[in-house]
Parts: sequence; C-alpha cells; structure tokens
Amino acid sequence: MEQFAVKPLIPLHLGGYDVSFTNQSLWMCVVVGAVTLFMTLAVAKRSLVPSRMQSMAEISYEFVANMIGGAAGEDGLRFFPFIFTIFMFVLFSNFLGLLPGSFTVTSQIVVTFAMAAFVIAMVVVTGFLRHGIGFLKLFVPHAPIYLLLLLVPIEIISFLTRPISLSVRLFANMLAGHTLLKVFASFVIALGGAGGLLSLLSAAPMFLIVAITALELLVAFLQAYVFAILTCIYLNEALHLHDHH
Amino acid sequence: MPAPQPEDLRSLGDRLDAVQKANAARDKAPPPTSLGVAFRFSTEMVAALVVGGGLGWAIDWATGRWLPFHTKPWGMIVFFILGAAAGILNVIRAARELNAEMAKKDGD
Repeated sequence: MEQFAVKPLIPLHLGGYDVSFTNQSLWMCVVVGAVTLFMTLAVAKRSLVPSRMQSMAEISYEFVANMIGGAAGEDGLRFFPFIFTIFMFVLFSNFLGLLPGSFTVTSQIVVTFAMAAFVIAMVVVTGFLRHGIGFLKLFVPHAPIYLLLLLVPIEIISFLTRPISLSVRLFANMLAGHTLLKVFASFVIALGGAGGLLSLLSAAPMFLIVAITALELLVAFLQAYVFAILTCIYLNEALHLHDHH
Repeated sequence: MPAPQPEDLRSLGDRLDAVQKANAARDKAPPPTSLGVAFRFSTEMVAALVVGGGLGWAIDWATGRWLPFHTKPWGMIVFFILGAAAGILNVIRAARELNAEMAKKDGD
C-alpha cells in the first residue's frame, strides 16, 4: 500500500514538531494550483460564446450555485465561495489522484477530517450568529417533555457524528477504490508471471481494472458532490432551524 | 447585416428552449451508486456508535479522575445505547433524503 504512504520531501522541524514538506503537501499544492489555473485561464478571455474550457468552468460554477440554491435557499448563496472552494478542491484531489503515480490527498483521514471539522465549526458559528442561543433549539425536537430527556442526548450525538461520517465517507471511498485497483493490478502481475495458460487469463483482471477506473471517475465526482451537498444541508439547518421539516 | 426578423427570433427562441429542456436533465445531480448508498448508511451508523461509545468512555474517565465517585461502566453502556439510537435516527434521515430525491426524479 505504498501509494498511501506520506513521505517527507523536505524535512523540517519546528519547536519539536515535524512540519516537513511531504508528498501530501506537494499534491495539495498541485491541486490548489490546478484549480486556480483552470478557473483563471478558462475564463480569461471572457468570450460571449464560451470555448470548451470556459464552458467547463461556467458549468461547474452554475452546478454549485444551483446546488446551494436548492439545498440551502437564497441566503445560502452567501457561502458560495466557501462551498465552491471545497467542491473544487475535493473534485480535483479525487481526479488527480486517479493519475498513475500520483498521490490522493483525500485518501488521508487527516485531510478529510480537517475539512469536515471546519465545515461543522462554521455551521455552528453561523447558527449562533444567526439565532443566538436559540440555535440550541436544533437539538430539541417537537415531543412531550418526558421524551425530551431521551431525545435531546440522541440529537446531540447525532449532530456530533456529522464531522465523522462526512470525513470517513470521503476517505473510505477513496481508499477503497484505490485499494481495489491495486488488488486487481496485482492479479494481473501474478497471473502473467504464472506461465502457460494462466498467463492468458491475466487479461480478465486487466479488463476489470479498466471498468473500475471508469467507476472510480464517477465515484470521484460523486463524493465531491456529496461532500458539498451535505455541507449545504447542514448550513441550511443552521440558517433556518426547523423551518423545512 | 440585416435586422433580424421576428419570426427568426421566435424560432431561435423555440430552439433554445428545446435545447435547455434537453439539458435540464443533464445538470441534475448524478444518481447515487449502490456502493455509495451502502457507504453512506454504514458510515452514519458506525460514526454514531463510535461517538456514543467514545462520549460514554470519556465521561467514565472524567468522573473517575475529577469527581469523588466514578460512573464506570455505566456511562459507556448508556451512551453506547444512545449512540445506537442516534445511528438509527441518522440512517432513517439519510434514507428519507434518498427517498425524496428518488421521488423527485421519478416525478419528472
């Protein structure tokens, strides 16, 4: 599993902490650079009839804007820069991770958990800014008072699971996909080296790898979408509390 | 360049409407794969169990450390069960969202 190993490229130690520049940091820089280049270069010409690159940039913009408008309402659009950044970062990490020999930033739980924790922290801050102490009503469902004793802790635990399920889902999908590819690739090599008729069989896992790579492309997009839409849904709850129930 | 005739504009408008209607389906959210749904539900359930159990464990540890009595093992037992309940709640909510999405898709 060395494709998931984090290796230091430029060793750095500050105050007893290891802050080395790793392949992980390198690929995060690559992702940010790629998104920035894509978004600035694609729309640089600002043509009325967009080129292919420009319409790709415009489609991703509209896609995210529609998603936020649908899931979090009009006032959710204030968070567009944040959600668009998260969506593009996750999308490009997932896609670039599919390149052979590259490193998948989102297959590290540290990265996904940091993003999820930030999202939830922002939701909580937004909720308190918007509703003050009334934000805590989010944890109080409509129920008789004797049931609330039981339901409030359940609601609080349910809320606390969000950063974990948000981060684990993305990380596990990426990890599972890449592991699956590696397992089938090892079948190809093992069968190819077996000699005789078995060598011919090695074409079968090879075809499967092609098919799984196509599936992984879909998963890469889907997981970026799921991460962004769940961020919108959580924001919606913080903005509107129980309005939409 | 001659000024565009109203009929031309109308036919252009009709054609644009047709293209937009055809593209509307494409812009919608992608259908979830079965693997994605399985991942979604299982992470919801497992995460709730982990949080519930962890919270209970932390309470047991904290009471044993800073208070004259300790709640061990009741904190973990109670919160693990609450975590299971929260997990089921999460899965039901996720399933409800998924159902609403599917119903919206079928409605079109």
